[in-house]
Amino acid sequence: MEITVNGNIYQVEAEPDRPLLWVLRDELGLTGSKFGCGIGLCGACEVHLDGVATRSCITMLSAVEGRAIRTIEGLAEGGTLHPVQQAFLDEQVHQCGWCMSGQMMRAVALLESNPNPTEDEIVVNMTGNLCRCGAYGRIERAVARAAEGMASAGEATLSGGRS
Amino acid sequence: MSKQQDRPNSGIPDEPERGWYISRRGFLIGMAATGAALALGIPLGLPQLRRGAAGLTEGDAGGFASGTLEPTIWFKVFPEGRILVYVPKAEMGQGIHTALAQIAAEELQVPWDQLEVLHASTSQADDNFRGTSGSMSVATLYDPLRQAAATLREMLHVEAARVLNQPAENLAARDGAFELQGDPAIRITYGELVAAGVNWQVPEEEVPLKSPSEYRFIGQPLPRVDLPAKVTGEAIFGYDARLEGMLYGAVAHPPTIEAKMRSARPGQAESMPGVIKVVSEDGFAGVVAESRLQAWAARNALEVEWDEGHPWQQQELEDLVTAGGRGGVNIQREGDAPATLKQGTPITAEYRTGMAAHATMEPQAALANIGVDGGRVWTSTQFEMNERRDIAAALNLEPEQIEVIPTYLGGGFGRKIPLKPVPNAAVEAARLSSAVGAPVHVGWDRFEEMRLGFVRPLTHHQLVAILDNQGQVEAIVHEQASGDALFGGFPEPVARIVGFDFGSTRGAQIPYAIPNREVNAWRRPMPIPTGSWRGLGLMANVFALESFLDELAYAAGADPLQFRLGHLPNDPLGQRMRIALEAAAERAGWGSTLPEGRAQGLACSTDGGTVVAEVAEISLDQDAGQIRVHRVVAAVDPGRIINPDGATAQIEGSIVMGTSATLLEEIIVQDGRVVADNFGRYPLLRMADAPHVETILLEAPDGKPRGLGEPPIGPIAPAIGNAFFALTGARLRRLPMTPERVKAALGS
Repeated sequence: MEITVNGNIYQVEAEPDRPLLWVLRDELGLTGSKFGCGIGLCGACEVHLDGVATRSCITMLSAVEGRAIRTIEGLAEGGTLHPVQQAFLDEQVHQCGWCMSGQMMRAVALLESNPNPTEDEIVVNMTGNLCRCGAYGRIERAVARAAEGMASAGEATLSGGRS
Repeated sequence: MSKQQDRPNSGIPDEPERGWYISRRGFLIGMAATGAALALGIPLGLPQLRRGAAGLTEGDAGGFASGTLEPTIWFKVFPEGRILVYVPKAEMGQGIHTALAQIAAEELQVPWDQLEVLHASTSQADDNFRGTSGSMSVATLYDPLRQAAATLREMLHVEAARVLNQPAENLAARDGAFELQGDPAIRITYGELVAAGVNWQVPEEEVPLKSPSEYRFIGQPLPRVDLPAKVTGEAIFGYDARLEGMLYGAVAHPPTIEAKMRSARPGQAESMPGVIKVVSEDGFAGVVAESRLQAWAARNALEVEWDEGHPWQQQELEDLVTAGGRGGVNIQREGDAPATLKQGTPITAEYRTGMAAHATMEPQAALANIGVDGGRVWTSTQFEMNERRDIAAALNLEPEQIEVIPTYLGGGFGRKIPLKPVPNAAVEAARLSSAVGAPVHVGWDRFEEMRLGFVRPLTHHQLVAILDNQGQVEAIVHEQASGDALFGGFPEPVARIVGFDFGSTRGAQIPYAIPNREVNAWRRPMPIPTGSWRGLGLMANVFALESFLDELAYAAGADPLQFRLGHLPNDPLGQRMRIALEAAAERAGWGSTLPEGRAQGLACSTDGGTVVAEVAEISLDQDAGQIRVHRVVAAVDPGRIINPDGATAQIEGSIVMGTSATLLEEIIVQDGRVVADNFGRYPLLRMADAPHVETILLEAPDGKPRGLGEPPIGPIAPAIGNAFFALTGARLRRLPMTPERVKAALGS
């Protein structure tokens, strides 16, 4: 089967009902997506499927053929962190870090569909992702910070285009 | 095996140093075979070699050059200027590698980005002064790490004077180099010195340490050294460790807390897809397969018969853990509390706390590559030396034949300490790897993580006190019983001699200046494995004591803040408690009018010299019986703070985890089994329900650093319970404060 992860095409030999998470981690060596619960309760495994945050531990391989899969390894471009990664770094969000790939992927998907979320919208969107270290306050701040950063970067690009 | 196979994605950039020799002052100096890097270390676990090494001569060093004794903490300086610091402490999110780097950088005088902190593997420090627990890393390493760093700098200093042909006193260390004062063009970097140096000598005199007023790194909110790799997903945890050609293992686990394997047969497992081997030997049955899911599926197909043991029920366990009767040990006595209590009508209360799971987000995981002569194991662990001991014992090897390489941990909270009666993923991976002669990774699923761990023990507290006619507490007795928090991992004879489990009594003593006080502790081993959980007994004991103190304040008709202030000891600790209590109360607006439906509660604790005061502000959904914690203000004095932002993160995390444990988390045993199987039946606090945490950092004037990872979890439960009383007039005397218990308290 052929799947597209972070713009790269991979040939994968695995059972069609194998969850995507284990294909990413064990077949492709992309261990940034984490295993937490295996039944879609915690969010540590979240990746993007065609831009939508998706729990890869309950998404079968057969369901992702022909779709664009994006993982934490595909967020940074050319050595430059994605604004969400940068904001998580700036706010020093991570403690152990195990849940954070999922948190960041969730945040990116949110900001791509809603670039200017309210505080409530951030909480409603992020509350499905567990963080045992209790970094919720910082996650919330980092998502808000990333939104601001992406908005001002967008303006800069716009004004650059005009000149 | 190839070089690459031997060094997976584990973050270990170098082979262990060999050929150490010991200096007169007890430091160990190591030169790499190529002579290209200088290493200096201190064998922390061997106190006879520290400071007091004067009796050893260079001639005695022969025994140390064999590689059997290596330093616990050591530095390695490379010609290009990079400096590695090997530490015996696990990074599990508490920021310890950053704090230790700051302490080292302070005396090394190097640019921040030249330092790299690594967790020393078991072969890089062969001693037992290891393990990451008890919030003790900074407190125990602050002095020796600075001393070692200063000594290394001084060795470089002497060499710089020789190479530059300048008097040493005219050279100053700055940013990883020595410069001639007045002419900074005359300069040599540490790396250049290492490339040129030949005959390194440890200074005879102890090198004086910087005055704290000169600190540039300690006390600064420097960014965490492990975060760049964690934001990109590159950081390697035990579950992520990989080797070329590795296979996946899974092991049959006991279905009940007392189950013993009677027999095991491969059943369908052998013929299932991807299965390489079924391993069945004395009380152990597992499979090795090409993929993890194949291993899990085949494991589930093994035909294992178990002797399930007694079908324990929750109430039976509760009955076991009861204070009173024989076996109690007195752990605090001032005045004569029992006699004083007889002189009037005492106030009594009974508190209990339930069992709890650690629920680390990363389940147990290890990768092992074992050959006939031993091998390596990469795992998420807090106690790598015990992993090595248990792996070696399971394989009938000497501990030295196994190297355990700690990875980053996806949460620890005490769970990643190997406890003998509990299955251990590192041992399982090693046994399976040994059986197939290939690298094997074992990663538990969430069900295993929930059911097979050890848990925070049940506790029971009887409290009795009497007030004098001024409303002061004249006498108080705390009788405490707990399952083992620490002794689960102790040899039973040692545990018997000590008598009480000093882990489960953390926070049990009464810090207030009450003339007659007594605390007695009962060790009540439980049939379910119990052990360390963030703070050990701290959360339970502070919940009981500080809730009861609140009861006494109301009985005395006093404000809970003023009541506590009125009972503080007249000593430095009492002074620090006063400052913390007043700071938290002031920031929280204690005593001011709150929005309708809100109330505040206050609690305070001391743990290992760290003082914490917290104010929680809550509301209640009466119909649902749901407490909502909106805001927590914490004033924390851990003494000297190495990294204020890291300290703040630890406080925030402790309080959120503590709120979760206070309101939601409970392990229940039914028919001999743990009921929880995943986050559905063991819910954790989520963002929408998490309190907003405000922290106030205080620093005791004595300059000593103390623990921080656990102490802030102490006062959170009583602060919430005391707020609940302020709001409703009802008292919650059992953790967790589930909706059923909240409704029951309101109904009574």
